Amino acid sequence: MLEFDFLKAENITDALKYLNRYNKVKLIAGGTDVLVEMHKENFSNKELNYLLDISNIKEMKTINKNGDSIEIGALVTHSKLEKSPVINKNINILAQAAVTIGSTQIRNRGTIGGNLVNASPAADLLSPLIALKAIVVLKSVNGKRKLSLAEFITGPYNTDLKRNEMLTKIIVPNYGEHYYSVFKKIKRRKAVDIARLNMAVVTKLDKKNRFEDIRIVPGSATPSPQSFSEIEDELEGSNIHNLEYNKLTKKIAEEMVSITGKRWSTPYKKPAVGSLLKKSLKAIIKEVEVNG
Amino acid sequence: MEHKSVNKSKKRVDAYEKVTGKAKFGADLYFDRMLHGKVLRTEYPHAKILKIRTKEAEKVKGVKAVLTADDIPNNEFGVIIENQQVLAKNKAMYIGDGVALVAAETKKAAKKALELIEVEYKELEGIYDPLEARKKGAKALHEELDNNQVVHHPLRKGDIKKGFKEADVILEREYTTQFIEHSYLETEAVAVVPNERNSLVTVYGSIQNPYATRDAVSSVLETDLNKVRIIQDNMGGSFGGKDENMSSMAARSAVLALETNRPVKMVNSREESIKESYKRHPYYLKYKVGAKKNGDLVAMEIEAVADSGAYACQTPFVTWRSVVQATGPYEIDNVKTDTYGFYTNNVYTGAMRGYGSPPTIFAQEQLMEELSEKLNMKPHKLRKKNMYKNGSETASGQKLNDHKVSLDQVMKKAMAAIDYQEKLENYKKSQNNEKKRGIGMAISYRGVSLGAEGVDAAGAIVSIQKDGSLIIYSGLSENGQGLKTVYSQIAAEELGISLDKINFMESDTSIAPESGSTVASRGTLVGGNAVKDAVSKLKTIIKEVAADNYELNITDLELRNNNIFTTEGKKIASFNEIINIAYSEGIFLSAYGWYQTPEISWDEETGQGKPYFTYVYGCQIAEVEVDTGTGELEVLNMAAAHDVGKAINPANVKGQIYGGVVMGMGHAIMEDLQIEKGYIKTDNFDKYLIPTAKDMPNIEPIIVENPDPNGPYGAKSIGEPTLELGSAAIANATAQALDRRIRDLPLNLERVLIGRYLSKGGN
Repeated sequence: MLEFDFLKAENITDALKYLNRYNKVKLIAGGTDVLVEMHKENFSNKELNYLLDISNIKEMKTINKNGDSIEIGALVTHSKLEKSPVINKNINILAQAAVTIGSTQIRNRGTIGGNLVNASPAADLLSPLIALKAIVVLKSVNGKRKLSLAEFITGPYNTDLKRNEMLTKIIVPNYGEHYYSVFKKIKRRKAVDIARLNMAVVTKLDKKNRFEDIRIVPGSATPSPQSFSEIEDELEGSNIHNLEYNKLTKKIAEEMVSITGKRWSTPYKKPAVGSLLKKSLKAIIKEVEVNG
Repeated sequence: MEHKSVNKSKKRVDAYEKVTGKAKFGADLYFDRMLHGKVLRTEYPHAKILKIRTKEAEKVKGVKAVLTADDIPNNEFGVIIENQQVLAKNKAMYIGDGVALVAAETKKAAKKALELIEVEYKELEGIYDPLEARKKGAKALHEELDNNQVVHHPLRKGDIKKGFKEADVILEREYTTQFIEHSYLETEAVAVVPNERNSLVTVYGSIQNPYATRDAVSSVLETDLNKVRIIQDNMGGSFGGKDENMSSMAARSAVLALETNRPVKMVNSREESIKESYKRHPYYLKYKVGAKKNGDLVAMEIEAVADSGAYACQTPFVTWRSVVQATGPYEIDNVKTDTYGFYTNNVYTGAMRGYGSPPTIFAQEQLMEELSEKLNMKPHKLRKKNMYKNGSETASGQKLNDHKVSLDQVMKKAMAAIDYQEKLENYKKSQNNEKKRGIGMAISYRGVSLGAEGVDAAGAIVSIQKDGSLIIYSGLSENGQGLKTVYSQIAAEELGISLDKINFMESDTSIAPESGSTVASRGTLVGGNAVKDAVSKLKTIIKEVAADNYELNITDLELRNNNIFTTEGKKIASFNEIINIAYSEGIFLSAYGWYQTPEISWDEETGQGKPYFTYVYGCQIAEVEVDTGTGELEVLNMAAAHDVGKAINPANVKGQIYGGVVMGMGHAIMEDLQIEKGYIKTDNFDKYLIPTAKDMPNIEPIIVENPDPNGPYGAKSIGEPTLELGSAAIANATAQALDRRIRDLPLNLERVLIGRYLSKGGN
């Protein structure tokens, strides 16, 4: 039988105090991962003495543009990301990704912090935020530390979060207008489904329409989303009008297999990851052409 | 004559309570001193049960009973073959088999007790593929049998050797279809009250077929039918899926209720539901067709093998429908069909909307399109050349001459609605985009009602109260399909009264006459005729009373607008006034209605006869777009034309079409019960995917009406025909888009992109 006590914090300070004082505490914000996990037959109650509700902490629900970066509170919901003018104007790829998550109900409850802390290989916000080189802010009663998101995610469903720490904020650098970004996702149905594969591409284009500082991060392709450096190197400096798609799609598939080895899903994912790359690059090129 | 109530889109009589949340469902039930029942299920799909220790479980505070198979008076039940265990006794046959029961004051206590029941198993090697199960020398899974065959239906017509000799083109193809979960929104739920009023047990709950459940419960309790009362609650979906599993749940709860002498409620979680409940049969299908150059079909040979899972359940009947419909609606002189069902240790399989036809249609309608390519004919022209017309003889040797055979009409209407010909030509041209489109068709004929499965009759009670209001009890049940509304419309039409005068009661086996099961899309025709019979009797009585009192001939009277008129249009009295007079004169104002379907025949050895007394015809056409980079398949448009005889409620018919089409689409492109060596991996809707609102294609429903001589106002069926065509039409459209054919269901991302299925276990 599942048995636990329920705690509720109204501000960050209280939440951190609780985290420090009690053992085996699970945080709950939107509950879209935690409740599903607790529902499972094989859920181990041994790891759960307390459920700490942080969903009311107002200071973690804001999105602020702060000079060269945008700060997103960990409790910002997917719906808010989807609709926020600041996100849509400055980091549109996050809105593109958020809108593909679950259903309206799930997007209204689920939070960006939860999506990152849960660290699913298929988390739809992970690949764009890694591509954006986001920083996470982790707080505890002892202070705070900042980590790049790529370092924070240590494996599938694993992070570097310490027992008494809480993810409070995500900081995304504000890229100027020379940057383009796109998010693509393959699902088995149009809503309420996790990604079979997704992909985030963030890149700058130089004056001669050559890729510069390109980041390519597929999701659900590797144990945790990561930059695919070989394909990035291949594309860096290439002109958008001189792309050999056949070569590129093969290359990214090879890079994926070099990371994961051959798995049961590889025969599908090899062509599909190539297709997502091609779609992503074409979407960027189209945007360049439309914007001149 | 113009209709006032039927053939009109009247509001559903049960709409208000459902949309306002007032309707009570099984899980809402509460009785004083009620206990909560829970089932402990086997850990292995196939295992000997060596020992069960319940002592520790019994000690849990609040636990009132812990029972095993030894406590069940009669442990085996079944509609056709009685071999389904209420609780696994010596052997667990599949992963959903129950091993022990608990009743406790709280759900928590019941759950705790389950954890404390110790069961010693000896795991046995299982068989998980019907092709393995049928092999000579395969171990018989049911100890009383010497092999694993549940049933074999042969059909022989003409001489296929001769037929194939005459053929210019012969195609041989193989197809497979998958297990399908019914995915009703409401999981199984019952509450059983012991010794309530005069019944030994009263069972309330989400029960599709109250009489079948009554049979099972009385047989398990070894008591008379009149001691078991089943009262149906509102149904949160069923689709053929709340039959044997509800019988099992009701029987288990009844045993617990009698043991404790307290009401017992049982509600399945979604995981329990998916693990335990029966599924649609997966099929292996082998088809061979021979045709002349001009397109004439000359021979067809079919072998269909269905996985029955652990129990016989309805496999004999499901596969029987397959054999009748296996060739599709085509005239072929030489036919040989063999349909089999085999036991395995997979989840058992049973009735699901469509019954045995969707798998055979998936095969045969793809085969027709492939054949048309081979013959360089347009797919609809090949069909038209061979399809049934009035006077045609079916594969079973039945002459179709007593109703309108409307294949030509449904096909024409569906084609026009979706611009079939134009799109067919357009999509033939090479498509340069990564996204490619295709269009595909499927047609069918479908036997209405039970056919040669068994007794086919139904009854109803209509009772007029002294104030002119009506109460209807029907032997067939409202399962969400709109039966209450349709029957109310028929009663209102006959008596010339408004619908608001009618109160349609819940199904109650101790009141309404036994009418068999609400299955086989027989509700409107069979039960509708029974209601019509009852109200016709009352109509005559009312006319007689009016004629007596106003000195008129009964032939000069008509009932309409809640009044009685002369045929010349003069108002005699209101309906209520006449009823009041009749009541004061002591006249009997209730009637039983009964309807038995026309005679049919069937020869089990040859598959010849008259398997159904009438048929419905349908055509669905799908237009799809395939992403050839990712394998994503989108159904853009579907046209669905169905001859329903007569639509008693056109809005309801359209609702059935929308629902059937989208359900069929789910079966075609995403639904996939993953089962590995008997273990079900997709035990909730995060893994077992069904279509969402966002996946709905644009659907064009087309109602075709050719009144049937046997239907009430000419009405036939619509529930199941809507589901049997979708996967074939979508597969055909996908084949055009891909220029490659997928002969296995579902057409998921992997099959569309790389042409094969991938699974974690590897294959």
